[in-house]
Amino acid sequence: MIITILDGSMQGSSGEMIAFVEKAEARLQPKHTVRCFHLQNLNIRHCNGCWDCWWKTPGLCAIKDDMESIYPVVMQSDLLVFASPLMAGFTSSVLKRASDRLIPLIHPYVILNQGECHHKKRYDKYPDFALILEREPDTDDEDIAIVKDIYRRFALNFHCSLKHTWLTHMHSPQDIAHDIHHF
Amino acid sequence: MTFTIFNGSPRYKKSNSQTLTEQFLKGYHNQGKTEPVKICYLARASQLAEHLEAFRQAEEVIIIFPLYTDCMPGMVKEFLELLPAAGNKNPKKLGFIVQSGFPEAIHSVYVERYLEKYARRRHYHYLGTVIKGGVESIRSMPPSMNKKLFKQFRELGDNFARTGQLPRELMQQMRTPLKMNAVGRTVFRVISLLGLPDMYWKKMLKKHGAYHLRSSRPYAP
Ligand SMILES: Cc1cc2nc3c(=O)[nH]c(=O)nc-3n(C[C@H](O)[C@H](O)[C@H](O)COP(=O)(O)O)c2cc1C
Repeated sequence: MIITILDGSMQGSSGEMIAFVEKAEARLQPKHTVRCFHLQNLNIRHCNGCWDCWWKTPGLCAIKDDMESIYPVVMQSDLLVFASPLMAGFTSSVLKRASDRLIPLIHPYVILNQGECHHKKRYDKYPDFALILEREPDTDDEDIAIVKDIYRRFALNFHCSLKHTWLTHMHSPQDIAHDIHHF
Repeated sequence: MTFTIFNGSPRYKKSNSQTLTEQFLKGYHNQGKTEPVKICYLARASQLAEHLEAFRQAEEVIIIFPLYTDCMPGMVKEFLELLPAAGNKNPKKLGFIVQSGFPEAIHSVYVERYLEKYARRRHYHYLGTVIKGGVESIRSMPPSMNKKLFKQFRELGDNFARTGQLPRELMQQMRTPLKMNAVGRTVFRVISLLGLPDMYWKKMLKKHGAYHLRSSRPYAP
């Protein structure tokens, strides 16, 4: 399986996630192909809502930065893992910024999906989603449920589903490897 | 009361968030409120320190943003991460306006749960979240089509000036439909056969000479 990990660790978070993700990567290889992007080290700008990716250069973002190396890797993947320390109750802003930039991967036209408006697929197949979350001191079950629900919605927009949620205080990199081997 | 609005659209002043803020403020000033309301644009990242100071000084805050993948845009998340928790003496009032492209409110109610929890976590006095769908289309509609929407935003502002609260009943009306009912879905299917829901996108693709490229797959494996 081809797995891409977007690591949303950033200044102000513990750094635990980076080590966790690296261990998971080591556990998964060589059986699986794993690519990990530590987003805080990359130059990724905010989506500016221009819609060039939908009506000027369909499928291509107007902003030329490190997202260009992430798009093809994401589209080759079977699983896209969003790894992040929780910050103010949600995944990090660095990760959200990169996630906003995934919009060129879908098509502007609107269809009904599960009785709701959603955008049409641009590609035949999208990777499924997974989450690795590191809790904050005040994280409770409600926070985790909110984050999971929002990523389920995100997956619905991307014609895939949220397959796994791992919590660094409850699961080990070995658990991740086990779950993925038996995916 | 110092009232500050934070605009969380990456489109800065050319945003739907700006258009709706202007309507809100029209209603707000109708009520004889003369103090100017400060508007901070999160898209001006270089002004972050000023934005944080404006937040610190404000007693009433509304953050308006476009829905991005059923959540807040990255720049709004960045801002939320930096806001300090409220002190015990003066729990700031904090409300949100989430506006989206798709018409149904269902897309925005998940981030609403987050926003409500966020306000609790930071000990702010939560004013509630206004949800309004179908907003991207205001850019392409003749002004007469936006009348009702703009009136709702003026009413929100008017109410807020009078009561310091966001009016529940109006907010309830604005967030309809939550999902399309069977009739709505049938109508959608019929107008889809005529290609109507995509008319705007088709027009813009053609305008940019990119219609033939509309289904390009530059990253197909
Ligand atoms: C990257 C991106 C993601 C978006 N995601 C959603 C979405 O998940 N659901 C939705 O209804 N609209 C979505 N929209 C549409 C915006 O919410 C809508 O166009 C809004 O009115 C823009 O407001 P603004 O001009 O203030 O930025 C998205 C737009 C962009 C650019």
